[in-house]
Amino acid sequence: MISRNLLTEVLHKALSTGADFAEVYVEHTKENNVTMVDNRVDAITDLLISGVGIRILKGTRCVAGSTSSLERSDLLACAARVAGALDGVSEGRTVSLTERIFGDIHPVRIVPNSASHHRKIDLLKEGYFAAREYHEDISQVSASLLDVDHQILIANSDGLYTGDRQIRTRMFIRAIASKNGENQSGSCAPGRRMGLEVFDLFPPKEIGIEAARQAVTMLHAGYIKAGRMPVAIENGFGGVIFHEACGHSLEASCVSIGQSQFCGKLGQKIANEKVTAIDDGTIPNAWGSINIDDEGAPAQRKILIENGILKSYMIDKLNGRRMGMEGNGSSRRQGYRYETTSRMTNTYIDNGPDKNEDIIKSIEYGLYAKKMGGGSVNPATGSFNFAVDEGYIIRNGEICEPVRGASLIGKGSDVIMDIDMVGQNLETAQGMCGASSGSIPTDVGQPLIRVSSITVGGR
Amino acid sequence: MKYNEFKDLVMAAAKSRSLEEYELYYMESEGFNTEALHHELNSFSTNTEAGACFRCIHDGKIGYASTELFTAEEAGRIVEAAIQNAEAIENTESALIHGAGDTYEDIPPVTTTEPSASQLISLTLDIQEKAYQADSRIIDGTQSFAGFRRTTRSIINSKGLDLSYSCDYTMAGCAAVAGDQGEMFDNYEFKADDFASLDAAKLASGAVADAVAKIGADTVDSGSYPIVFSNKMTATMLSTFFSVFSAEAAQRGMSLLAGKEGQEIAAPSVTVTDDPFPEDSLVRMPFDSEGVATHRKNVVENGRLITLLHNLATAQKAGVSSTGNGQKTSYASTVSIMPYNFYMNKGGAGSREDLFKAAQSGIYITELNGLHAGANPVTGDFSLSSAGFLIENGAKTRPVKNFTISGNFYELLKNIALVGDDLEFQTPHETSCYGAPSIMVKDMAVAGK
Repeated sequence: MISRNLLTEVLHKALSTGADFAEVYVEHTKENNVTMVDNRVDAITDLLISGVGIRILKGTRCVAGSTSSLERSDLLACAARVAGALDGVSEGRTVSLTERIFGDIHPVRIVPNSASHHRKIDLLKEGYFAAREYHEDISQVSASLLDVDHQILIANSDGLYTGDRQIRTRMFIRAIASKNGENQSGSCAPGRRMGLEVFDLFPPKEIGIEAARQAVTMLHAGYIKAGRMPVAIENGFGGVIFHEACGHSLEASCVSIGQSQFCGKLGQKIANEKVTAIDDGTIPNAWGSINIDDEGAPAQRKILIENGILKSYMIDKLNGRRMGMEGNGSSRRQGYRYETTSRMTNTYIDNGPDKNEDIIKSIEYGLYAKKMGGGSVNPATGSFNFAVDEGYIIRNGEICEPVRGASLIGKGSDVIMDIDMVGQNLETAQGMCGASSGSIPTDVGQPLIRVSSITVGGR
Repeated sequence: MKYNEFKDLVMAAAKSRSLEEYELYYMESEGFNTEALHHELNSFSTNTEAGACFRCIHDGKIGYASTELFTAEEAGRIVEAAIQNAEAIENTESALIHGAGDTYEDIPPVTTTEPSASQLISLTLDIQEKAYQADSRIIDGTQSFAGFRRTTRSIINSKGLDLSYSCDYTMAGCAAVAGDQGEMFDNYEFKADDFASLDAAKLASGAVADAVAKIGADTVDSGSYPIVFSNKMTATMLSTFFSVFSAEAAQRGMSLLAGKEGQEIAAPSVTVTDDPFPEDSLVRMPFDSEGVATHRKNVVENGRLITLLHNLATAQKAGVSSTGNGQKTSYASTVSIMPYNFYMNKGGAGSREDLFKAAQSGIYITELNGLHAGANPVTGDFSLSSAGFLIENGAKTRPVKNFTISGNFYELLKNIALVGDDLEFQTPHETSCYGAPSIMVKDMAVAGK
């Protein structure tokens, strides 16, 4: 994308006012999106994202710049603007870039942007019409097939010169069921860091049926009555509870500035002893996996919490400096426009000691959250919230009628203590996680768990 | 190569492929941002970006392709890719490229005072220091920030359209964190304005006062309460549920306002306006992403739905004219529908204190979280994590948090009992900006303890 000589020149320019570290990140990303609505292929968009991010550090100060131009004069001007924010003199370091290849643990069989439109359209239609034909109450379906071919190159003043090519594919189907002037929606959106072969794992038909089933189920559900109650949260996207309630607060970006409820708690018990939680960027072909992070450090598997004890944070270079700790393959950014910081990869609660049927049986009156929607958290206060897309009342240890309109709220440090039963059907689900360094693919996951008591919002 | 050279190559490539209708949309923006932490500058960033989106009609359908790499090779590639993308789709209703001939509102570009990097850094550090000084309970973790951005959008097409418009603004703010007995309470305050009008002391004291006011917040008892939404939160609800007013959503069965033009959809005190060029706004656009002239219109008037917002395709389908709301969410996206300054008009119920009096006992909502997940514009349902203050004996009293409010947006519109007079606009995002006064709703379900 850019010659090694030019990268070296840019790094020298960036170091010219006394920075102790400089980095150049080059991005070349192809995105292709096929969308369907109203029973037909509605649009195809095609995009090439191309640009460069430059960053310098001096101690814990950070200056960054980005440009969508790859021309030598523009790159040097960007480096000069970045350097211009420091007023020191160059330490006189000579950068010598040496290429490093980490290898690719995420094989891709069918590179999507080399496949024909028709092949993708056939796959999308299979899913689309499976949803449409599922039930007479399905009034609309929208669907998309997105593939991303994200190529990055990273060079820094320590001499690192490396890159990665991250290909991912995802189908998103949303079904709407309508009756008597009411709408309800359901969705399903599996994806992997792989090519079109992902649909051997997730037949499009099943994706469509799942979205439609959820919409129709919720159309025939009443509203849940609000209150505090025990909740059983199912596997897969249920893992969003850990992601929001705890994961974000373990990112060095908030820990390093004292903005996390888990600051200074390494080695301490922060969760119920049944909880072991892991962030693993090395799972082959998983949605949130990487070969290297966006600082060029190899992906790692990190045990965040082991039997309730806090073992590790997710750390990037800058925040690591603030904390006096090393980065651990957790630095991520959406692309060249964003400044990298510590983020999650594939984050999940591991299987626990409880049988799934015992979890349901243990609840006299409560909520079974079968499908979770998204959520958010304020890491400083720990307040989190998320939506229950498909829920059922549990009465006398049995799953009963479906209920709509539920959301769960609480404080992260409380809720992970209150996860008092952990089942054995660990599964992950895919999400796009938004934060200061942009929108990045992450997996959430867990087995069925029980939260002994939580506030359920409803009517 | 520079954009102008690239543009000529794209238009030439389109001509050589014998395309009859085609268009190139371009957006460039440049700006810089600063952030202070503790008592020093924590980060400074500068960026420039540009991208172009080519659209053409081929085979009776429209194809799109976009790039940020301005090379001869890419100029040819996006034309070929757009043709192939048009060939593969099945939608024949969106194949519309707008011709020249509209009369555009004559508004000068929005140009503000461009701060230098050092002025912006001084402003940021000033806000930060004033935040620390404002209250002894302000702790580390408090951050102040500022940024300047200039954006230019232009459209050139085969039908003689050649439009360009730029706007810029400075924004600054403070995320204040107050500590009390090991708990943290935070609050964001930010404002987008002309650099010269940004007041560090006002921003800092606003952020700090609202953070400190949350100290000691507890949850509330579950039940049904009269609710007063602050002006900011009313605007937040409008922005979250904006798509219910989009003709595209309506035509796709994703808005329950489909076919309701002329009918009562809200309380009689509710009037909602979309204005592309208010004099004092930083969002002003004489043309939309399709090159259609924009204009001011009431969407809801005294509770009655006047019009949904249209682009060329939805208007053609409905047999009406475009309302000039054909907008792209990014330069590379397909044309959708977005508002400009979209706001609920002032009502006659007085100040927010008057609304507290009318509510007597209830909850004043000043914070709503998780809107991307807990609110569904297709169904209208929402169940949102909230914070605010109790209203007791007709006045605002102690802070409350960790509860949800639940309801349905379509019902909420009808259940608005009072509309206050404190209309305020939020920070603009791209070319949209939402505003509202405080409102009161008689009963809403609350889940706390």
